[in-house]
Amino acid sequence: MVEERRILYEHLDVPDINTFDVFRQYDGYTRFEKAITEYQPEDIAKMVMDSGLKGRGGAGFSTGLKWSFVPRDIKPCYLCCNADESEPGTFSNRYVLEKNPHLLIEGILICCYAMGIETTYVYIRGEFTLGKKMLDAAIKEAYEKGYLGKDIRGTGLNIDIYTHPGAGAYICGEETGLIESLEGKRGQPRNKPPFPAVEGVFGKPTVVQNVETLCNLPFIVGNGVEWYTQMGPTYADTRANPPTPDPNTGTKLYCISGDVNEPGVYELDLGLTCSELIEVAGGLRGEEVKAVIPGGSSAPILTHYELDTRLDFTSLTLAKSMLGSGGIIVMNETRNIVDCLLNIMKFYAHESCGQCTPCRWGTPWVRDIVQRIADGDGRKSTMTRPKFGVAENGRWGDTGETEEIYEDLDLLESVANNIANVDTMTWNTICVFGIAVSWPAVSYLRKFRPEFEAAIREGKLVTLPVAEATVPPEENYAYQQRFIPKEFADL
Amino acid sequence: MSDELIQIETPFAFNEENQREFNALIGRYPVKEAAMLPTLHLAQRQAGYITPAVMKYVAEQLEVSVMKVKDVVTFYPMFFEEPVGEYVIRVCHTLPCALRDCKGVLEHLKAKLDTDIAAETNLAKGTTPDGKFTLMKVECLASCDVAPVIMVNDDLYKNLTPEKIDEIIDNL
Amino acid sequence: MAFVKLNDLEIEVEDGTNVVEAAREHGIEVPHYCYHPGLSRPANCRMCLVEPHVFFPPAGAIVPDRQLATGCTTVLRTAPPDRKLDGKYDFIVRTDSERVKKARADILEFLLVHHPLDCPVCDQAGECDLQDYSHRHGHDKSRYLEVKNVPPKKDLGPDVLLYATRCVVCTRCIRFADEVSGTGELGLVHRGSHDEIDIPRSHEGVPLQVLDNKLAGNVVDICPVGALISKDFLFKSRPWFLEKANSVCSGCSVGCNITVEYKADGVYRLKPRFHEDINQHWICDDGRLGYHYVNSDDRLQLPLKRVDDALTPTHWADALATITEKLSDIETEDIVVIGSAQGTNEDNYVLQQFAHDVLKTTQLGLFGQLPGEAHKFPQFTIEADKNPNTAGARTILGSANGNTVLEGDALWEKVSSAKVVYLVSGAPERPLEDAEKAALESVDFLVVQDVLPSEVTQFADVVLPGTTFAEKDGTFTNSTGWVQRIRKTIDPPGEARVDWEITQQLAKQLGGEMNYHFAGEIALEIAENVPGYADATHQKIGDAGIKLADSDQ
Repeated sequence: MVEERRILYEHLDVPDINTFDVFRQYDGYTRFEKAITEYQPEDIAKMVMDSGLKGRGGAGFSTGLKWSFVPRDIKPCYLCCNADESEPGTFSNRYVLEKNPHLLIEGILICCYAMGIETTYVYIRGEFTLGKKMLDAAIKEAYEKGYLGKDIRGTGLNIDIYTHPGAGAYICGEETGLIESLEGKRGQPRNKPPFPAVEGVFGKPTVVQNVETLCNLPFIVGNGVEWYTQMGPTYADTRANPPTPDPNTGTKLYCISGDVNEPGVYELDLGLTCSELIEVAGGLRGEEVKAVIPGGSSAPILTHYELDTRLDFTSLTLAKSMLGSGGIIVMNETRNIVDCLLNIMKFYAHESCGQCTPCRWGTPWVRDIVQRIADGDGRKSTMTRPKFGVAENGRWGDTGETEEIYEDLDLLESVANNIANVDTMTWNTICVFGIAVSWPAVSYLRKFRPEFEAAIREGKLVTLPVAEATVPPEENYAYQQRFIPKEFADL
Repeated sequence: MSDELIQIETPFAFNEENQREFNALIGRYPVKEAAMLPTLHLAQRQAGYITPAVMKYVAEQLEVSVMKVKDVVTFYPMFFEEPVGEYVIRVCHTLPCALRDCKGVLEHLKAKLDTDIAAETNLAKGTTPDGKFTLMKVECLASCDVAPVIMVNDDLYKNLTPEKIDEIIDNL
Repeated sequence: MAFVKLNDLEIEVEDGTNVVEAAREHGIEVPHYCYHPGLSRPANCRMCLVEPHVFFPPAGAIVPDRQLATGCTTVLRTAPPDRKLDGKYDFIVRTDSERVKKARADILEFLLVHHPLDCPVCDQAGECDLQDYSHRHGHDKSRYLEVKNVPPKKDLGPDVLLYATRCVVCTRCIRFADEVSGTGELGLVHRGSHDEIDIPRSHEGVPLQVLDNKLAGNVVDICPVGALISKDFLFKSRPWFLEKANSVCSGCSVGCNITVEYKADGVYRLKPRFHEDINQHWICDDGRLGYHYVNSDDRLQLPLKRVDDALTPTHWADALATITEKLSDIETEDIVVIGSAQGTNEDNYVLQQFAHDVLKTTQLGLFGQLPGEAHKFPQFTIEADKNPNTAGARTILGSANGNTVLEGDALWEKVSSAKVVYLVSGAPERPLEDAEKAALESVDFLVVQDVLPSEVTQFADVVLPGTTFAEKDGTFTNSTGWVQRIRKTIDPPGEARVDWEITQQLAKQLGGEMNYHFAGEIALEIAENVPGYADATHQKIGDAGIKLADSDQ
């Protein structure tokens, strides 16, 4: 069984680790001190770039690359720490905030030093009352001990951290939605470009980073880039010549919930497979794995055929899904996929900010279609049409067979694809919330079509056995479209 | 119809302690408007819910139009425009909690408190007649490993069973 | 200038032009809702999606960009030499590809999901972007089978209704109230598909503030669908039955460009017309709604003569005869002729010619509407001078023959000692100040030329029915030196006549040799004789106006 490698979570259960004095005993703030005494800000930025650290909040964008877009000559520059953890299935930031807030503060300090930032806002979701309380107390301690405020430890650095509560909107986890909410408005995301790195909060360059991403910084600085890059796989992107390295380095706080015996947060090197992670989490609760959501509810679902998919950014993107926030939700044979999709679509319909046309009116429409199917009012035609799949010539095309037309399933796929298209990977919306709505909807429908068809045929939700419910890979268009790199370098 | 503007009987103002906290808040941002969310949280704690008097006061303090306050208040579900019970019970019903029978939790609470579930524009629907409890559904509370969960005011309760729920409610 | 390939055209546009405007300049429609050239660009309707083409190194060719972009935020600029496409283009964009067409139809489908089939009862029909774009770019049916949202109809303010079911949440109205009027009464309530435009209200729906700023009516113009409706115009007419004429508002000295929309039975609506330097896209409510007096049943339709201390209707011959009789046996020093800041330059020119050539007097007066309140908005100004032509009247009355123009106290002092006064007012229902009343009362024989009965006509011995801005051709000069044309729309009511025609008739009866046939002729003479007005002929003024050379603004 894959072993946990607890780095961020190493001292989470040490009593009173949330206090400065105890945190100090476990190398607390020594990494920050090392950063400011041994390195220049640009050196830190280079270390982060070389480490291959990717954003842990959901986008998986190279942190070093993001920092490189920030113009260093425009001041002030702000850091917004995204503690608005709202992606269903994700709960790792909560434990950092509630149990080891000083680690986050140290990560913030390193980032501020590297980027010349003097003011950080930690946007913490309104429901995290305990987390905010703990973080506020830790910040207060840090000020008292001279690690925040003016002329920190006599270095001339001025850094302030303020916590800013959210109020129950998932969309404020989107980086520009967060910025708008921080500015005191409705959390409606902005058009990009301009990107926050250039024009963010209050019109100034802004770095937006997730809690987990920032918590990696002390360890990159403390233990070095080489140490960090040895954890997790680095692939070679063979589309370019010579191949460019695609690092998936470091550990990830994998949140696993649903039908497993020991749900929780497991810190593991990036790159383990779904099956391995389920094993780490105490194994499946139930008989068979029916489906796994690999990265928060916005991620396209994986079937039991795909449990050997490695849970890292690159592998999942190539599998036409995403690692996202790393919130894995496991579903066993007793679960009805239509019902699960309905739950998620209701979530998105509720959380849509309503700014742009496709999401505002498309999202509830998708939900309503799924609702109708779940209620037994889905429509089916008596007509048939040619069935597409892997044909005799081994390529995708007309198989010669016919299939029945389920009008509401066609409608569902069409409407979802009009919001954002999973095949072309484009979106008609302002922000990627459109993707978060449409990619799950289309992937659930394509991979578990039999259960949708059964619900329409029978006039009620019908839970099928795993094998019957799942579309086999050779008939699954999305599966066929997976891009497998010819070679990759392991670790 | 449009000439009948609201008459605010009692204007709202922060008490001394909250005024101090508010002054600290606006010092953190280069623009006063940015203090909107923490200010509304503070005002809601003092007033119980966001009344027109509160909106007007916050608008004046942050130097924005009243509409800018109203449109924020209606965007974020944690701000209430109606009175709520002494204890606001938030039940998570998103997928991971749904997989752990949050429906059972909701049904149990509905029966125990003898109330319906609040609607976002009708909190009274989910408030017990004695004004003690308001029962509402919320989205993912980021505690999926200890599902099903509820929040009662600021406190999170996890790994719920009917017995645990009874214990929690009875002790309030 | 940027050199752009737009569909199959090669065009040149100014740096900084967005694709929607560039396309419009070349007769290509990029449909849009939330974009408006006078407001900020949230790019939220997604209707203006276009397809930029970019260089894709792995393929070594120019290909359509992976993602469609919104045309309103895609700004065309000169590219550095090493980034030119195909060696020469600064930008390549298509608005006619299959992807773009599909995206437009899909967005329209989403917009119509909750939209009620209100066309038969909706004011906007005939000038509705949703209708027009659906017809040109949309699918022919909707696949929506679920329940439609029905937000309630709302009263937003003194003139504006919101039919919230029709709203497409483009937020133009909100941005207008934030950016142009700066009053911020409008915003969004709720979230997601429950988004509604509203004024701030309590939970029970009682307003905390209403949309009552003086620019409120503009939100009805900019609303691309029939959501925001003017109470003034509600159900009055279908737009395709209305005739339209380009004109200028007569409400104050800003001189906003307008379109007068009318039928034979009256003026129905005034709408602002774009002018970059004067009013941009806007007009204030006082001006917008300032046409009702034109249609009023109280309009003076016949000349009136004082008989036994009461004003009684008479016919033109009699009225003019009465006046000429009085004027022929009186000393010049005892006559005062007063022109109007409500009148056109042509009206005032003929008046001062009459005074100079026939009555042999060079002392004229200037009358007009009393000053009112000025308003300064972030992007618009309403002036205190509530006359459209103070500058023009003053200049014309004064300089053509080196006349003196008396105003204020000086004028009323002269009137007090005058025996005969010919006062052209044209200021609807103009109240009189005490000094003015006293002065007019003391006049032996007062002739008033006006459009409506007022305190001024009360003192008259003869009242002559004149015309409003909607009933004659002519020009106004605004406060910033722009000379602009007004155009005749409806016929004057009853026997009312164009003001300069009345004056010319009087002149002829007293032996004068005026013989103007139409206002343009008078303007040509003004151009010759009045310093600064050399270019102010009707032909040169056209629809955009002419700025006087020596204006000090």
